[in-house]
Amino acid sequence: MKLNCVRGEHLSRRALMKGALATTAGGVVMNWGGLTASRAIAAEARKQKKHCILLWMNGGASQFETFDMKPGRPTGGPFRPIDSNVPGIQVCELMPRMAKQMDKVAVIRSMRTSEVDHPGGIYLMHTGYRPSANVRFPELGAIVAKYQGTEGGDLPDFVKVSSNGDAGGGFLGPKYQPFGIGSEGTLPPFAVSGMDAAKEAKRHDLRSFVEDQFATENKSELAKMHREAYEAARRLQKGREAFKIDDEWAKSKELYGDSEFGKRCLLARKLIESGVAFVEVGQSSYDSHADNFQWHRGLVPPMEHAWAGLLADLKERGLLDNTLVVWTGEIGRTPQINNRAGRDHHVRCWSTALAGGGIKGGQVYGASDENGVEVKDNPVTEGDFFATIYSALAIDPKTENYAGLRPVPLAPFGSKVVKTLLG
Amino acid sequence: MFHPPSTGVLRSFAVGGALLALFAVPGVAFAEEPLHTVIDRELRAGWDKAKVTPAKASSDAEFLRRVSLDLVGVVPSYEETVTFLDSKDADKRDALIEKLLADPRFARHQADVWDMVLFGRNPPGYETQRREGFQTWLRARFEKNVPYNEWAGDLLRAEGTSAENGAMYFAQWRNAPEDAIEAVTQTFLGVQLQCARCHDHPFEEWKQLDFYGMAAFLARLDVVTVAQKGNQPIFAIGERNLGEVRFTGSVKDAKPGDKGEPVKPKFLLGAELAETPFPKDFKEERFAANKMPPKPKFSRKDALAAWATNADNPYFARSVANRIWAQFMGRGLVHPIDNMSASNKPSHPTLLDAMAKELAAHKFDLKWYIRELVSSNAYRLSGIGTGEPTPEWFQHARSRPLSAEELVESWQVATGYLAAEAASSKKPENDRLRPLGNGYIIQFFGNPTTGTGDFQGGLREHLYLNNGPLGSMIGAKAGLAEFVGDAKKPVADRVERLFLSTLNRRPTPAEVKRFSAYFGEGNSASEAVWVLITCSEFRFNH
Repeated sequence: MKLNCVRGEHLSRRALMKGALATTAGGVVMNWGGLTASRAIAAEARKQKKHCILLWMNGGASQFETFDMKPGRPTGGPFRPIDSNVPGIQVCELMPRMAKQMDKVAVIRSMRTSEVDHPGGIYLMHTGYRPSANVRFPELGAIVAKYQGTEGGDLPDFVKVSSNGDAGGGFLGPKYQPFGIGSEGTLPPFAVSGMDAAKEAKRHDLRSFVEDQFATENKSELAKMHREAYEAARRLQKGREAFKIDDEWAKSKELYGDSEFGKRCLLARKLIESGVAFVEVGQSSYDSHADNFQWHRGLVPPMEHAWAGLLADLKERGLLDNTLVVWTGEIGRTPQINNRAGRDHHVRCWSTALAGGGIKGGQVYGASDENGVEVKDNPVTEGDFFATIYSALAIDPKTENYAGLRPVPLAPFGSKVVKTLLG
Repeated sequence: MFHPPSTGVLRSFAVGGALLALFAVPGVAFAEEPLHTVIDRELRAGWDKAKVTPAKASSDAEFLRRVSLDLVGVVPSYEETVTFLDSKDADKRDALIEKLLADPRFARHQADVWDMVLFGRNPPGYETQRREGFQTWLRARFEKNVPYNEWAGDLLRAEGTSAENGAMYFAQWRNAPEDAIEAVTQTFLGVQLQCARCHDHPFEEWKQLDFYGMAAFLARLDVVTVAQKGNQPIFAIGERNLGEVRFTGSVKDAKPGDKGEPVKPKFLLGAELAETPFPKDFKEERFAANKMPPKPKFSRKDALAAWATNADNPYFARSVANRIWAQFMGRGLVHPIDNMSASNKPSHPTLLDAMAKELAAHKFDLKWYIRELVSSNAYRLSGIGTGEPTPEWFQHARSRPLSAEELVESWQVATGYLAAEAASSKKPENDRLRPLGNGYIIQFFGNPTTGTGDFQGGLREHLYLNNGPLGSMIGAKAGLAEFVGDAKKPVADRVERLFLSTLNRRPTPAEVKRFSAYFGEGNSASEAVWVLITCSEFRFNH
């Protein structure tokens, strides 16, 4: 078993080596992963621009009520499996629409992760790392924004629609902080300028002059970031249209299902189509310690309707080949059904799913034992999961960024890419 | 009140001999050489060794703005700026420091900094989000310049109630002694024990049992509601006579249902605490609500407080010396500041020893210590011309973002909002962040507030700056925008006033030219003020 700790100290020997090299050369190592080597990699990755949508099941959806049915077992629960459009792959009867999209989906039934509660799990499944006092790890969205984003685009590269996780840009810095959209798809406060355009242009020119003057003498990294964020906020005024989905919603309601989650998925598709690198869409609240089956009966149908609609829509528009759709929450749920008809937290064996760009659909990877307690075949750790996601997005998971003096690979050291999943 | 440590506590240092060998033991006599000259000498040695060239000395304007923000948390006013810049007094920087140290805003600002150290913007819990009583108490520590070891001890002893003193501190971690001890050791001793919570650490001296031995000191604490003030409960920290933390071994080998063995309190790398065990049939009464909890027969928490804040505790003085150094210089001599360990050595070991020793010898007088830091030539270096916000060898001034409070209060001064308020007969709102309010300000500018180069301001803060309500300050009656927009005044005066009020310096010829042209075309003075209070030079302290 892995050493049950990924605190920053474990990096320190390598870090000291790197640090020593940097200082003897008299150079100053910048914060926020700003290294030339990693910049070159970012430029290379952008050539084959990929996108990613993360469907975040907050609270932890049950594998038994979605992708890892145990019919007839004491852990199985009341729902029945149904056939999908891939022979041999069955899913829960709550997901009839996804059953018809399974040729696009790769299910992982052998997740084994290391944070059993919500805050730690949310951090872990957004970053690939456990929370640490010393290193602020960036989220998947920040990394995709850095390596697949559009420098100087009108839209932010990391958008979160009503979702969780607060690790944000981490050590990659403020440039990669998520742009948060509310549950109704509303823009954040102050996103809209009410100022006369000509007056704003004058003000902007004057401000640019002031910043230019400052920058000639001050090579401050902080000021540079501050200015970049200002420019991005200003460009957003031009890109704002991409956030409006009202017209399209009327037409797409049936495809995505008439739900808030459906609306958010449509927004995600629209943003991806407009060039945004990463969109996260959240659905709450799966933490079904009581009445697990009622909760899933309520939550899964609108979720799977929207997800199936999203996959079909991306395919229809020719976007699916370059858009990876990740489906996960922070934890799985226990095989045992507790005395309140609930399922508690379980991370020794649970399921996630990947679809679209870079993924070979129509397969199930790994297996749980007959009651779904332990992984039987091919365990996938959080690190393996993230390494596979980065590979599918044409980003080398071994790429290092610097958190201060510490080199930190995108996926934790020792993670393996599950090549079988890649298409 | 200061409680002398028991003999048991002192003995623990003797047992921790292996540890003491790593550190110089603080003595009591003052050194003859002022600390600020020691700082300059040691940093120079570091530059020579690392072959880096220090920046030139800061200009008067650079120093004025930097030291004002660092000491009182607000930029100087137009009048203060002009007076200082025009003064021919050779000692004007020292005089300025004395003036700022005596300013009532000094206590408030330092208390703000420590409030963030102790609680942060989002404390873990139990109604500690609102803590005016605590904040007032903390401010009073700085107003009276209470020795740091004394008030840190009071904070850890947590007597009285949350309405009046440091009793609020432990309320963050109700029934979580492990979380509490992680925070206490990190904050007051500068060491990180959290890895040892789950397994023995490969690189550090302390083991998993050491962690639980420390947590045992706080195992008996409870948060008791003793009164209600409006809709806010008032707490006291009660301490029971019984209760232990339990240790189950390494987390990865833990078996479900294993409750583990009780662990005796033991000082970090020191001795076990000497305690008389209670009779087996001892029955403890529960704490009653709305009543001050009785003191225990023997207080483990007080023993921890005495040990932790003792001048001879090798971690205590070094930790605070290093923390305040980082507050003013951008990074710790040990960096990160709360990770002092054998595997994370100081960049300037002799200097850190000297600082800790002198601070202890000066009875933890933080005002004295801060005066020494800002009197050093190192603090007075220029920050211009460099990229790294927190230079490793302190070869130039660090750059740090202003905190939410610093930013709003500096806007109040720069725009003339505060002056307009003073001139008005209306009583100002009782809100520091007026007229903007704390909601969005804390959301967009509140984190992080370490006072170092750490900066997370992204796109959202600019949406607020670009499209938010700053106009409510810029439009202050008889304020800066009004002066600057007065076409009857010579344009050069207007531009000069604008720069002195916002960036606390005179404009360059290029700036005079550009802004004169801008005003010449009849453009908005308010927007010119907006440009200068939202630009990078304003957003950071350098």
